[in-house]
Amino acid sequence: MSEVTEPVVRPAPAKFVSPRTVALYGVLTALTAAITYASYTPFSPTRGYFNLGESMVFFSALTFGWSAGAICGGIGSAAADILLGSGIYAPITLMAKGAEGFVAGIIGKRDTSKPVLIAVAIGTGGACMITGYFLYELFILDVGLGKALAEVPINVGQVVIGGTIGALLSYYVKRSYPKVAGA
Amino acid sequence: MAMFIDLYTEADTFLHRMDPRVKVVSILLLSLLAFLVTNLYSLLVLLAFIFLLLFLSRATLSRTLFALKFVVRFMLLIVILWPLFDPTGTPVLATLGPVKITEPAIWRGVTSAVRVGCLATVWYILMFTTSQRDLVRALVKMGVRFDFGLALAISLRFLPTFGALIENIKDAQRARGLELGKGGLLKRSKNYVAVLVPTIVSALRTADTLALALQSRAYGARADRTYLRDLTMRAADYASLGVVIAIFALPMIARFVFDIGI
Repeated sequence: MSEVTEPVVRPAPAKFVSPRTVALYGVLTALTAAITYASYTPFSPTRGYFNLGESMVFFSALTFGWSAGAICGGIGSAAADILLGSGIYAPITLMAKGAEGFVAGIIGKRDTSKPVLIAVAIGTGGACMITGYFLYELFILDVGLGKALAEVPINVGQVVIGGTIGALLSYYVKRSYPKVAGA
Repeated sequence: MAMFIDLYTEADTFLHRMDPRVKVVSILLLSLLAFLVTNLYSLLVLLAFIFLLLFLSRATLSRTLFALKFVVRFMLLIVILWPLFDPTGTPVLATLGPVKITEPAIWRGVTSAVRVGCLATVWYILMFTTSQRDLVRALVKMGVRFDFGLALAISLRFLPTFGALIENIKDAQRARGLELGKGGLLKRSKNYVAVLVPTIVSALRTADTLALALQSRAYGARADRTYLRDLTMRAADYASLGVVIAIFALPMIARFVFDIGI
């Protein structure tokens, strides 16, 4: 080979999030939205619908930590809100579910072998979410106290069921796909 | 279960051709306006304007109805529930034990319902006329970090894929005797675990493959990214931006400078 080799000046690699993380977060966000959408069950004559999206928020937070919980829980649930036709909730869903995933992740990821800690994580995260929705309806949307209060019991049920399923999912998935435990 | 709906409708209207950044800014300004306007008639004008834009976006009737179904129910609920919890003002129209229905409370309920109607429908203008790709592109151009934009694009791309995956796994588990539609809420949710675990594991495998694909395409190799398609503002885009800013600014000037109630 008699080619003239010029010194190649490479720019420093950009400080982006690693490809693993980008792929994982993208997929978790899509999963959250897809599961919320697929398990959507309208059940009350007022607004209410029940879904298992909550369980994915807790799953992401308990398995991958607070940032996955906050980003995937927030964006995924907000996207599902838009797809389900309740886009007016999208901004608060982004924040409330994001906060829920954030808090649950910070408390719960430390030691996933203690059921009490996980219960506390789910309870605290859920409380953030419920408070967020309540305040948004009362003060930002200004829908009146009656409508805002009517949502609270629905959301409590959502957290209890979603939290249980989320913790179960985290346990089962770690067992059947051990690769995630190291992530 | 209905298929996943991408709200975007292919068409060639001025709203479709508009730069997505202008649309995002306009939606934000119009939402803010709905918060700042207090008068019922002004809110009704705003709602009419939003509906006009929605009509001009040429969305199919079924999509528009889908968008409105939730909003109308929500508005009705506010109108009904508001007077029950707000006993202030006169004249009192009816008294039923501790509940007092007053005329001003009814009007406040209606005003709030119209405001919520504005806030809920204005988003559809953006969603009906902007493809997901353009939306992500606009967000990145407006300062969202590229890698977050990519994660968002990936999630939007995989949403329908995972939706189909869930349906497949549901069918497979049903064939093995799983009953998803029976029992109370708790039992039904618990049965869902048998669907969710395989779905999540399969999705996580997808994420692993995706990470390899990203790496092999030199993701994040250099900071000064170039783009195949770039967004450029045209004259019409600047004009639309000007119109929207005027629509926002004029009522604000009337309210805060000349002290006219709006």
